[in-house]
Amino acid sequence: MEEQVLGLLIGGLFGAGLILGGLADPDKIIGTLRLKDFHAMRTIAVFVLVGMLGTWMLGQAGLAHPSVKPASLVAVTLGGALLGIGFGLTGYCPGTGLACAAAGRLDALVTVIGMFLGALVFILIHPWAVVPIDKILAKGKVTLPDYTGTKPWMWVAGFCGIGGLILWISGRFGKKAADSSATARP
Amino acid sequence: MPENSVPKAPLPWWAAGLLLGIVQILAVGLSGPLGVSTQFVVVEGVALNKVAPSYVEQHTLLQSEKYQKIGYGFWLDVGIVLGAFLAAVLAGRWRPRATTYWWRVSHGPTVGKRLLAGFIGGFLILMGARFAHGCTSGQFASGWAQLSLSVVPFTVSLFLFGMITALLAYPRTPNIDA
Repeated sequence: MEEQVLGLLIGGLFGAGLILGGLADPDKIIGTLRLKDFHAMRTIAVFVLVGMLGTWMLGQAGLAHPSVKPASLVAVTLGGALLGIGFGLTGYCPGTGLACAAAGRLDALVTVIGMFLGALVFILIHPWAVVPIDKILAKGKVTLPDYTGTKPWMWVAGFCGIGGLILWISGRFGKKAADSSATARP
Repeated sequence: MPENSVPKAPLPWWAAGLLLGIVQILAVGLSGPLGVSTQFVVVEGVALNKVAPSYVEQHTLLQSEKYQKIGYGFWLDVGIVLGAFLAAVLAGRWRPRATTYWWRVSHGPTVGKRLLAGFIGGFLILMGARFAHGCTSGQFASGWAQLSLSVVPFTVSLFLFGMITALLAYPRTPNIDA
């Protein structure tokens, strides 16, 4: 019961945030992948950095409920490629696909139906295709600090620096793109 | 003309990122990091267990407890649908439609092709997400939040293939409201 309430509450906030933040908007996603519209890129950068800082602080306080994914390097790279192709073709991913279908987008609903077929085929090929690939270069459920024997704060600080740089550069590019499109209009 | 250009998101980028980051912190603090794609397999695993229990019993993945349990992760996905619906209605963004500005400017009013691309894309999205043990939420956003090793190759591969595909699929750029 508690799981149900928590899931609905956090999921509800997440779905609302995806819509209001413009990530559940395939035009914003494609604009970012084409490096023409930096709204989604900047939103994602802040999302990731705030989540990283908060998770690190919760971890320091012993209050985090972590769930680190296994680093099977070949499976993760292959999966990222397939997901990337679908992402670049549609502008959707699993979470934003659900959110966009709920916002009246018929193409997103069809994408969600495609996702259910993808899940079914994944189940069917899992025993002979997924299991062996998952065993190649399998490093286990490990974090970057664990793997390298370094302190988490160093990674958090470094990624905040990289994230800040992405925000700064995309801010400058965004301005330039806006200026040139403004002058291009009659 | 606003109808012919990609509209701005309801929230500015910093507020949107802050809101989503706080949701991630709530998730990690209260139950577990955000994730979406596992539940597509869970729903089918539970359904298959009803119609073909002998298949599920000998299946390496589906027989595990995680894939037979409707719990936090499932309700999180249901919450996404409800929250997105409410937010879209309240923000005046709920509108029936079947294509996008980027699609129209490259492919014209070809709704059928857009739907076909959507279906194929959805198939690849979920298949890829499960191979990678997570999608843009569970592997990418939550992976960075937890500094997981797997997030590095995943991110490079996701955006490399995403950018190449977007360049091929959407060669022309629409007007974008700044």
